[in-house]
Amino acid sequence: MLEIRSLGYHYKGAQYPALSGVTVAAKRGGILGLLGPNGAGKTTLISHLSGALEVQLGSILVDGVPLEKVRRRTPTRIAVAPQQEAFYPMLTVAENMAVFAAAGRLNGTRKRSRIEECMALGQLERFADVRAAKLSGGLKRRLNLAITLLPQPELVLFDEPTVGVDAQSRAFVLDAIRRLADEGAAVIYASHYMEEIEAIAERVAILDHGRVIRIGALTEMLSEGARVITLKAPDLHAQALQPYGKPERSGTHWRLELDDNMRPTYVLKALEEAGFDVQQAEFGRASLEQLFMSLTQRSLRDS
Amino acid sequence: MLAALVKKEWLALLRDLHGLAAMFVMPALFIVVMSLALKDIYSSPIGALRYAVDARDSGVQATLLLQRWQRTHGAALPLPQDWQGQLRSGRLQYVIVLEPGLSAELDTPALPTEPRIGLLTEPGIDGNLFNSLRAELVGAGGEAKARAAFSAPGGPDDAGTSSMARLVKAERYAGNVGPRPSAVQQNVPSWLVFGMFFVVASLSTLLIQERQSGALGRLQAMGVSRVTLLASKALPYLGVNALQAVVMLAVGVWLMPLIGGDALSLRGANVGALLLSLAAISVAAVSLALALACLVRTHAQAATVGPFLNVLMAALGGIMVPAFVMPAFMQRVSAMSPMNWGLEALLTVLLRGGGVADVLPNVLRLAGFAVVMLLLAALLFRRRAT
Repeated sequence: MLEIRSLGYHYKGAQYPALSGVTVAAKRGGILGLLGPNGAGKTTLISHLSGALEVQLGSILVDGVPLEKVRRRTPTRIAVAPQQEAFYPMLTVAENMAVFAAAGRLNGTRKRSRIEECMALGQLERFADVRAAKLSGGLKRRLNLAITLLPQPELVLFDEPTVGVDAQSRAFVLDAIRRLADEGAAVIYASHYMEEIEAIAERVAILDHGRVIRIGALTEMLSEGARVITLKAPDLHAQALQPYGKPERSGTHWRLELDDNMRPTYVLKALEEAGFDVQQAEFGRASLEQLFMSLTQRSLRDS
Repeated sequence: MLAALVKKEWLALLRDLHGLAAMFVMPALFIVVMSLALKDIYSSPIGALRYAVDARDSGVQATLLLQRWQRTHGAALPLPQDWQGQLRSGRLQYVIVLEPGLSAELDTPALPTEPRIGLLTEPGIDGNLFNSLRAELVGAGGEAKARAAFSAPGGPDDAGTSSMARLVKAERYAGNVGPRPSAVQQNVPSWLVFGMFFVVASLSTLLIQERQSGALGRLQAMGVSRVTLLASKALPYLGVNALQAVVMLAVGVWLMPLIGGDALSLRGANVGALLLSLAAISVAAVSLALALACLVRTHAQAATVGPFLNVLMAALGGIMVPAFVMPAFMQRVSAMSPMNWGLEALLTVLLRGGGVADVLPNVLRLAGFAVVMLLLAALLFRRRAT
């Protein structure tokens, strides 16, 4: 559905490019998680898809057609659900829905039915006559989501849709996004919350300093973690680890990518016998956060 | 789509009470307050001033002069003991001192060589009033001297039916069609123009809110064109301007006489010229509002730049101070202000009995200004969007 090929973007006056050689694809019925610390280039990428930025380098294709052309002909095929509450606080929920339905070129019975469906999806029917400014944070997110889905977009990009909402609303939003993908839409989900991406995305792209540093199926990425041990021991050095695999220092820890047929328990025993006091060892299926840390040398939440 | 966006703008506007107050209540209040405050500016209040006379000459000519003065200025108050103190404090507004020898001076055919009548006014008296009183006293003295010189001894006293004042007929000329000038006739156009330009504040506040919330970005991402977005902003405010015109004219025509002011007279006003002038002012005001709304970046900027610009334009444009009392340089500046073009167009219709051809120069200036502002708005809107 969406193919981003070697996308590059350089802001006027900036020292480094905001995006460089970004290649990402999103399929119908799938969710692509987009991970990256602040300044990684997520906003620039999202701005391209929303039409706020024009392509400088590379290309963005939707079903083989340049994005620009698609946006001109059928702009509502692609929707961006922004992080902030992008609606009118002085209007009621129903009035907001009506404005954005009209902006999405819906009219007549189709307009009415889409408004009803999206209100139902966001469970907003009871709040139809309430001014948006008076809604709780969770309800505002649901209204944001309902508005995004009004024109039935084929490709939806969610930008941190659960920041600052309670657990119940968060689960609600994630569930709705999952259903959206199940119904055939292509979804790109940008978030800081790695557990959310682990919960709903099939594929993940990790962005840092404007480049995609890793992209692939989430299960494959995480199973790679089984071949990796993260160790903490005073005085441990690369030479001591080299016989067992490929060592790499990560702060106070060592990340060891095991050679084939090398078992983690054997390595631990060998290190203890060599006199190293192993204080911490993690192995098995890595979490996305571990993977991210090993790739970027930092935690997303700290960045 | 445009209808839905226009409806959204209307709803947002109707729920913005501060914005509505600024656009409707403020100019209406200005009309009422300023019209009442300046009610007498077109009918001299000289006859209502408190004055006393220190008559140190009791001769015939001095007595006659005093009688004629009292006929047109009302009876003098008895001269108090401390009249100097009362004059300084403003309790007495002027005192006429008829110096000894005045009657003899008036009886002499030669022109006077030294003062015989004193005019002392309170310190804070308006300059125009001071000059007016002085001129009247000079005139009264001249008249008395003329009467003394030309009347036959023992002839009939004309008892004031003839007078040098009859020689001059003065009026504010508006032809046969124009209404009588009054403070209301001046203030309604002034504050209507001011109010119409005040949409700047409301429009820019709403646009900033829309931009910052991301709603504008969302509409653009949905493919709503710049022209549609700008039109959806402009149309409701053109409607607001039309409503303002109706309300302000109604305040002048119906409310002002109810509260003791003069009524705004539309007698003889050319309706076509009035509508054309109002339309031109409205288009110019809304275009300026759009350009400014696209220029400012924050709520704070919108809340200060809009009203500041409005007040500045009003001061320069002759809304607050009539342009004709400004120095020559400021009058040239004033002639370049859109508010002045609007005001002049309305005064041409409401005060000078002008028609379409008479208002056309100012209407064209306003239209040209609107085109420039609209182009600027479109350019800035595009730049802000990216």
